Amino acid sequence: MITLEHISKWVTTAGLRTFLLKDINLTIKEGEFVSIMGPSGSGKSTLLNVIGMLDDADEGKYDFMGNQVHSMKEKQRSQLYKQYIGFVFQAYHLIDELTVYENIETPLLYQDTKSTERKAMVGDMLDRFQMVGKKDLFPTQLSGGQQQLVGIARALISSPKLILADEPTGNLNSRQGEEIMELFKKLNEEDGVTIIQVTHSEKNAAYGNRIIHLLDGRIEHPR
Amino acid sequence: MIRNYFVIALRNIRRYKGHAGINILGLAVALAACTIIFLVLQHEFSYDQYHKHANRTYQLVRKDVYPDGDNFDIGMPFPTIRALRNDFPKIKFAEIFTSYGSQVTVMQNAETISNKKFIEGPGIIFAEPELFDMLDVKWLAGNATALNSPGLAAISRSQANKYFGDWKAAMGRYLKLDNNILIQVAAVMEDVPVNSDFPFQIVPSYKTFLANKDVFSYTASLDNWGGSSSNHQVYALLPEGSDAEGFNSRMPAFLEKYYPDKKNQPGKLYFFLNPLKNIHFDTRFGHNGDHVSSKTSLMTLALIGLLIILMACINFVNLSTALAVKRSKEVGIRKVMGGKKSQLRLQVYLETFVIVCFAALLGLGLAWFGLPYLKYIADIQQPLQLLNSGSITFILAVILATTVISGFYPALVMSRFQPVEAIKNKINTTAVGGISLRRVLVVLQFAFSQLLIVATIIAVSQMNFIRDADLGMDKEAVLLVNGNADSSFLSRQPNFEARLRQVAGIRQLSFALDAPSSDNSWTTNMAFDNDATDKDFHASIKMGDDHYAETFGLQLLAGSFYPPRDSTPEFVINETMARKLGYNNPKDIVGKTIRLGGGKWLPVVGVVKDFKNKSLRDEIRPTVITNNPKFQTTACIKISAANLGKTNRDIEAIWESVYPEYAYSSTWLDESIQNFYRQEERLSRLYKVYAGLAIFISCLGLYGLVSFMAVQKTKEVGIRKVLGASISSILYLFSREFTILVVVAFVIAAPVAWFLMNNWLSNFVFKISIGAGVFVLSIAASLLIAWITVGYKAIRAALANPVKSLRSE
Ligand SMILES: Nc1ncnc2c1ncn2[C@@H]1O[C@H](COP(=O)(O)OP(=O)(O)O)[C@@H](O)[C@H]1O
Ligand SMILES: [Mg+2]
Repeated sequence: MITLEHISKWVTTAGLRTFLLKDINLTIKEGEFVSIMGPSGSGKSTLLNVIGMLDDADEGKYDFMGNQVHSMKEKQRSQLYKQYIGFVFQAYHLIDELTVYENIETPLLYQDTKSTERKAMVGDMLDRFQMVGKKDLFPTQLSGGQQQLVGIARALISSPKLILADEPTGNLNSRQGEEIMELFKKLNEEDGVTIIQVTHSEKNAAYGNRIIHLLDGRIEHPR
Repeated sequence: MIRNYFVIALRNIRRYKGHAGINILGLAVALAACTIIFLVLQHEFSYDQYHKHANRTYQLVRKDVYPDGDNFDIGMPFPTIRALRNDFPKIKFAEIFTSYGSQVTVMQNAETISNKKFIEGPGIIFAEPELFDMLDVKWLAGNATALNSPGLAAISRSQANKYFGDWKAAMGRYLKLDNNILIQVAAVMEDVPVNSDFPFQIVPSYKTFLANKDVFSYTASLDNWGGSSSNHQVYALLPEGSDAEGFNSRMPAFLEKYYPDKKNQPGKLYFFLNPLKNIHFDTRFGHNGDHVSSKTSLMTLALIGLLIILMACINFVNLSTALAVKRSKEVGIRKVMGGKKSQLRLQVYLETFVIVCFAALLGLGLAWFGLPYLKYIADIQQPLQLLNSGSITFILAVILATTVISGFYPALVMSRFQPVEAIKNKINTTAVGGISLRRVLVVLQFAFSQLLIVATIIAVSQMNFIRDADLGMDKEAVLLVNGNADSSFLSRQPNFEARLRQVAGIRQLSFALDAPSSDNSWTTNMAFDNDATDKDFHASIKMGDDHYAETFGLQLLAGSFYPPRDSTPEFVINETMARKLGYNNPKDIVGKTIRLGGGKWLPVVGVVKDFKNKSLRDEIRPTVITNNPKFQTTACIKISAANLGKTNRDIEAIWESVYPEYAYSSTWLDESIQNFYRQEERLSRLYKVYAGLAIFISCLGLYGLVSFMAVQKTKEVGIRKVLGASISSILYLFSREFTILVVVAFVIAAPVAWFLMNNWLSNFVFKISIGAGVFVLSIAASLLIAWITVGYKAIRAALANPVKSLRSE
C-alpha cells in the first residue's frame, strides 16, 4: 500500500541542513497495524505527516496505492488523501465552532456527499460510537476521551483505507486509552483498515502487529 | 454545504463579537453614507430625463464674448422666435416668459377679488402650447391647446387645491396676477415631479404675456433685438434624425441676417442649442429650477462615497487577516479533512457576506434615520425615497462588491495556510501578510481622513470669511420689502414712505431697485466723456433714491451723493468704474459725463468706495448708481436693533393699509446675502459630515490594527516587562508606530488637499489664503484622535501580566 524509498526531509538554517527525516525506506502493506515509536523530537510526527501527504519530503519516492505522490500537485494529493486517509490527532483537533454532529459531517461536505446520504452516514457513526445523545454538543462540552472518539468517528466517516493516528491516547487516561486501542484493533481486524499510529507506550504499541523505531529522523533496525 | 457555512458564519460572528462588531459598524456607517450619496446622485441625474422627446429637445442659449470674458445667458431677444420659425420651418419652437415672485390673487369671479392673495416664487411661466410637445405633463383636465388663447391658463393640481380648495372645482375660475393680469383656468395638470427644472405652477398662455407686457415694464415694442432677459427663453424640438450641430452651424448666418445694430454691441454674439438633458448640470447658465448641479461636484460626491466604502473594506481586511491568525487551527483542520482551497475561500466569502448583510441592514436603518437631514447638506429639499428599484439594485451590488473586495485578501491568506503549521498553531502574523500591508492600508485611510479634515477646515474658514467679509456696505438689520412696478403701486409710494418715516424703530429708509449686493444684475453698454463710441465693457446699474448711500452705509470718496430727484438725474459711480475709465484719483472724474445705453449724457457727481455687487465669487463690476423712481419699488429699511419685532409688525401693518390688494413679502438683507452661498454652505456641511465619517471609520481601522499589534507584541511586551520596562516605555512602543503612520499619511494628503482646495477657492474672487495653520491643525487633530484610539489597547497591553502572556506561548 505504502512504499517510501530514500525519503529525506530537512530544514536549512543559516546554511546548515538539519535532517528531520533521513533516508527512510519503508513498506507498509494493506491491513497492517503499525506502531511508530521513538523519543520526542525523533521525527515521528513528521513521518506521519509525509505519509498523510500533509507535508512534502525534500527527497525520495513515495508510492501510495500505485500513485507517485512525490510528483503530484497539491490538488491531486488532497484529492487522494481525502479519499483514502483518516487522521486522528493527540490534541483531537476538533473545530470548536461546530457541534459533534457537524464535526463528524465535515469530511463528507468536502467530498460533495449528498445531503440524505450524509445524514444516514453521520447517523450510523453516532450510533456506532453511542453518541447520539451528544450530537448537538460542542467539543468543549465533552471530556477528552469523548472528544477523541469524535475525532476517530470523523476520521472514519469517509470509510478510509488508512488511519494515521499521532499519539491518539497522549492526552487520555489509561482506561480511555485502552478503549481507543480496542477500537483500532477492531477496525483493523474486522474492517481491514490499515492503521499507522505514533505512540510512546509499549503497551499501546503492542496492539499493532509491527513496530518501527525512529531515532534522529532514521529508522532504527533491530540489530 | 452552503447552509452549513452560514451556520458557522453566524457562530463565528457570535464568537468573535468584538471583531464582527467593529466590522459591521464600520461597514454599516459606510453603506449608509454611500446609499445616501447614491440617492442624491440618482435624483440629480434624473432631472428632466423622463420626457419622451428629451433627446430631441433643446434650449436655445447665447454666448456674448467680451474682452474681459464670456457671458452665457438663456435669455433670448423677443423677435428671435419669429425669425426662427421663418428660417427653420421643420423645427418646432416654443417660447416662454417666466415671472419670479409674482402675486396671485384668487378671484371670486372675473370682476371681484377675494382676500386670498399669495406671493409665488418660481413656477409662473407664460408658455406657448408647443412647449408641451417637448415636455411631458399629465393633464387632469383640459390640455395644452388652452394655451392658444390669451387670458387662459393651465394650473397645477396642488396650486389649484391651494387656490380653490379642490382642483376639480378649478376649471373656469379666475386668478389675477400682480393685480393686473386676469387669467381663467382652462386646464389642470398633475404636479411636476421634483426631478424637473420646470416647476410649472401656473402656466398662462404666452399670448397673455404679450397682451400684458407693460406689467413687466416692457413698454416699448418687442421687436427690439438689442435687449434680452433671462425670463424670456426659447426651446426647440428637432425633427428625428437631425442634430444640434447642423442647427448651430447655421446660427452665425442667422444672426448676421437678423441682428441689426451690431456696433452698439460691445461683445460678439453666438446662439447655440443646449440639450434639455444637460440643463440641470450646466453651470454656465441658470434655469427655472432651484439649483444647478455641476457634474464635477456630483462626481466628487461619488468619489467620496467610493472612498468611504473602500475605507470600511480596508478595515475589514485588516481585522479579518488579524483574526485569521486566531482561526488558523480551524482552517488547518478543514484542510486535513479534505477541504479544497476553493471551498475554504468560499467559506471566507460567505462569512464576509453574512457580515456585510448585517452591516447593510444596519446601514439601511442609519440611512433611513439620516435621510431627513439630507436637506442640510445637499440641494435636495424634497424627501427622497430610500428604497426604489435603483437603490435596491445599488445596495445589492454594493453588498456583493464589498463582499468580494473585503473577502478577497483574507480568503487568499487563509486558503494558503500550510495545514500542518496551521494545526500546530504555528501561523503567526507574518504569515498573513505581516504588518506592512496593514500599515499601507492604514496610511491610505488616514491620508483620506486628513484630506477631508483639511478640506473641511478650509471650507469652514472660507464660509466664516464670507460671513465676516467687508462688503463695502452695511448689511445688518436691513429689511427689504418687495413692491411692484405698476402705476397703481407707484402712485401710493409717497404715502407709504411718509407713513414709514413715522415709525420710531426705522433708522433709515430708501426706495431702490435692489440692495448694493444682490443676485440681480442689470448691465448696459456705456460711453464716457462725450466720446460717442461705447466702451468695451458694460456698466452695472444700481438704482436708488437719495437715501440709498446712507441706508446701506456706502462711503463717499469724492464729490457728493445726488440730492433728491429733480428733473435731471445724476450719476454716482464706484471706484472700479473710475479706475476703468482711467482715473486713479476719484476726485478728478467728478463732473465728467457718462451715457448709459442710448440715453442722455449725465454728470458724475460722486464716487463711492467699492462694494461687492454680487457674491464674493464675482469680481467687483464697474458700477453706476442713479435715481430712477419707476424701478425703485423695493423699500430698504434699516431698523434699530431694539424692538425689532414690533417695528417689523408696524411695517407690515402700514403695508396692509396702503396696499390692501398687494401681498406683503419681505426678506432680511443679510439672509439674502447668505443665500448666495447656499451651495457653499451645504458643501462645507457635507465636508464636515463626511470628514467625521472618514475619521470614525479610520479610527475603527486603527483600533483593529492596534488590536492586531497587541496580539503580535504580547510576547515582546511580556519579555520587556520582565526585563523591567516601564508602562510608559511600552506605550511609546505602540504610539511611535502610529505617529509615524499618521505623519506619512499627512505627507501624502497635504499636497493633494492643498491642490484641491486651492481649486475650490478659485471659484471665489475674494477668499482666504491657505496658511500653514490649516495643516498644523489637521495633523494635530489626526494625531490626537489616533493616540486616543490607540491608547486604550496599548494601556491594556502594557498592564497585562507578563507571566501569563509568556506562558501561553
Ligand atoms: N518546520 C520545521 N522547522 C524546523 N524544525 C522542525 C520543523 N518541524 C519539526 N521540526 C523539528 O524536527 C524534529 C522532529 O519533529 P517531530 O516530527 O514533531 O518529532 P516527534 O513527533 O517525534 O516528537 C523536532 O526536533 C522538531 O523541532
Ligand atoms: Mg510528535
